[in-house]
Amino acid sequence: MNNIFSQIKRSKEMGILAILVVISIIISAFNSSFLTFGNLLDVVKSNIVLGIMSMGMLLVLLTGGIDVSIASVISAVTVIIGRFMVDYSSNIFLIFLVGVVAGSLMGLINGLLIAKLKIPPIVATLGTMSVIFGLVLYLTNGNWITGIPQNFIDFGRVTIGQFPVAGSDRIQGIPIQFLFLLFAIALTWFILKYTMIGRGIYAIGGNRDSAERIGMNSENITLFIYTYEGFLIGLAGVVHTSIMRQVDPNAFIGFEIQVIAAVVLGGASVLGGYGSVSGTIIGVSLFCIINNGLILMHIPTFWQKIVVGVVLITSISFDVIQKRMHDKKNIRVDIDESESSFKRLSVVQKSTSQA
Amino acid sequence: MAQNMFLRMHNVSKTFPGVKALKNIDLEVEYGEIHALIGENGAGKSTLIKILSGVYQPDEGAEIIIDGVVQKTITPLDSLKRGIAVIYQDFSLFPNLSVAENIAMVSRVEKRKKIVNWRETNQIARSALAKLGLKIPLSKTLSELSVAKQQLVAIARALVNDAKLIVMDEPTSALSRGEVESLFSIIRNLKEQGISILFISHKLDELFAISDRFSILRDGKYVGTFGEDELDDDRLISLMVGRKIEYKIFEKRTLVDPIFEVRNLSKAGNFKDISFTLHRGEILGITGLVGAGRSELAQAIFGLNPSDSGELILEGKRLQVNAPEQAVQHGISYIPENRLTEGLILKKTMSDNICLTVLKQISSRHGLIEKEAQNKLVEKWIEEMHIRPNIPNMIASKLSGGNQQRVVLSKWLATDPKVLIVDEPTNGIDIGAKADIHQLLRDLSEQGMSIIVISSELPEILAIGDRVLVMRRGKIAAILDGKNLTQEEIMKEAL
Repeated sequence: MNNIFSQIKRSKEMGILAILVVISIIISAFNSSFLTFGNLLDVVKSNIVLGIMSMGMLLVLLTGGIDVSIASVISAVTVIIGRFMVDYSSNIFLIFLVGVVAGSLMGLINGLLIAKLKIPPIVATLGTMSVIFGLVLYLTNGNWITGIPQNFIDFGRVTIGQFPVAGSDRIQGIPIQFLFLLFAIALTWFILKYTMIGRGIYAIGGNRDSAERIGMNSENITLFIYTYEGFLIGLAGVVHTSIMRQVDPNAFIGFEIQVIAAVVLGGASVLGGYGSVSGTIIGVSLFCIINNGLILMHIPTFWQKIVVGVVLITSISFDVIQKRMHDKKNIRVDIDESESSFKRLSVVQKSTSQA
Repeated sequence: MAQNMFLRMHNVSKTFPGVKALKNIDLEVEYGEIHALIGENGAGKSTLIKILSGVYQPDEGAEIIIDGVVQKTITPLDSLKRGIAVIYQDFSLFPNLSVAENIAMVSRVEKRKKIVNWRETNQIARSALAKLGLKIPLSKTLSELSVAKQQLVAIARALVNDAKLIVMDEPTSALSRGEVESLFSIIRNLKEQGISILFISHKLDELFAISDRFSILRDGKYVGTFGEDELDDDRLISLMVGRKIEYKIFEKRTLVDPIFEVRNLSKAGNFKDISFTLHRGEILGITGLVGAGRSELAQAIFGLNPSDSGELILEGKRLQVNAPEQAVQHGISYIPENRLTEGLILKKTMSDNICLTVLKQISSRHGLIEKEAQNKLVEKWIEEMHIRPNIPNMIASKLSGGNQQRVVLSKWLATDPKVLIVDEPTNGIDIGAKADIHQLLRDLSEQGMSIIVISSELPEILAIGDRVLVMRRGKIAAILDGKNLTQEEIMKEAL
């Protein structure tokens, strides 16, 4: 326990956590309803999808990659499961299965383009983003899918526990969707910490050449990352539909920026190698609280976009500048500083050690 | 004798397309021996190591016996399994992972683990560090350690794999004196455990302090293996140098009209206290071992890698150079390594290539290129540099090699430099083309241009340098008169 604490203390996470606390205090000073159980529950509920997707993005960033197709993938997943449950079956298990399989397949395509064809991730995912968004529009004409089966709607309304809401007679429980977020966090944490693929992800992000030199298969790891990310997006798509009870094919346009910003804010380096599940949780929370705070403070919504951009650029700049300073510190030439002869010294040592 | 040998390499050659990098090399390393492998830059040391580690396959006819087993071929995995561990200069470690994980990672991958056992990871790391008698906190992130400690982690990692021969490539280049001493005591400790070390270094003092035997390569050939008591500095240097390459030796001039002066130029971690004067029409050769700070110095003068302190004075005027554009404006041009051989856009015409550096000069006020100005400029350079055939619209790829180089040089000369710095101008090209470049540089100097030639190849420096500046570990070791200079004299200063 002591060890965990000391690890957190010297890490980036602690700094972000401190910012999180400060901002929370500022917002609650402006609006007393911020730090209420009801509001926080709303914040969590409306950001479960962001949270699940941030776990996938974390893996991608850790290897130095990026994925801008995630918004199109989740749009496609919601459209596919929307049509599936309206036209074919309202079996909850099947709906989940279709969602995660569809998401995984789209992720696999990204992975193949990046790992096998060696297309830079930003270009590959830009391409798939355009293709998938195009297909979504073709299939839906931009129309919403409504008429979601009642049992799926009921499933989405399930809550756990009962908590009184301060200042009203309402009683609220924790939404079932929250469990899926916990599942995604736990699974990602386990993969990163306890599987060789997870450690390989860090190794590749730290030094790809070395990783390949000792026999790690960076192609397979890359395939895994994007497929796993697709899997989580599939999950997020089902969770999202269960909250919204309808499918808007345009709901996610621009969402990739938010996910990337939240993960980067949590200390993940766009240069690869650095980032953690705990940091990402803190980063996502901070990101959500800033957004929520802006709403509570009645600041016009276009400011949110500006804030997202500023957050993204500031965190990345911080990262890049830090790396540059670190590189500068690395000495390139060993300057002969001392004029005293090393030779005499060590020869003397050698002869004494022989004698 | 043969039973004592952990490694026997016999008749090892390696041919790359067009170049014979190694010719019939022999190398034998005993069990528990510290063996130095030495040679000039480009003598073939790294190629030999890459064959040993399975990165390259040797030509037919090589015999390699490791630990008594004849190896027909070596893959990187074979090499590891037979107990050979190469510690490259970059250590091949993971800066973002903990010490323990760095040490245990190779064995994890080798055992094809799927799930990570952290307790085992820590145990592996602890016992490897114990073998070295070291205490490094296992949970520390590698990038937080000093370079010296990182190197020890790399050595510990090699021990996990039961290394019997550890190859260390320039292991002391980033270490302080004290750190070198503690590295040496660790190496001696390993030797006592029967582990052999193949030690590659340019620092003779260190080599003599630690090595039992020396194997010397020169020009891709095996010179011989000598016991520590058979050698001294002078003997060693004379065995290392003496590449027999016949260049035309230009007559050395003594020039007196100073044009460019570098005063006390320093940059932390790059070079220190560099002062020299360049004269009008002079060719100054700058040489030294790779890593002595030569290119860093050139890049500082050109503003690519601005210095921390010191002055540049051109024709009596103090220059402010913080970016390449400023250097070019003042009349200093820098042609980086390989640019004389690779600096062409092959699909474009000779004319387009020549104009690249001076597009502003030949453009109208609105930024459009004026054809007439371009033609004039190109004709001038074709004339001056004797480019043949003299057809401006000829596609660059169709020119002969020598004429391509003239085009590249024209491109840089069009900026009208007073001082031209060329970095390794003849790296990797055949002897005829090298001689062409030497002649071109000499012609330019005859016309009054002052030229700094940076080169690792001593015969080249001797052929064209009026004076030779030798750098050693970031400082000027000596500035030598080019008349009657020998390779030995240069190497003595460089080592």
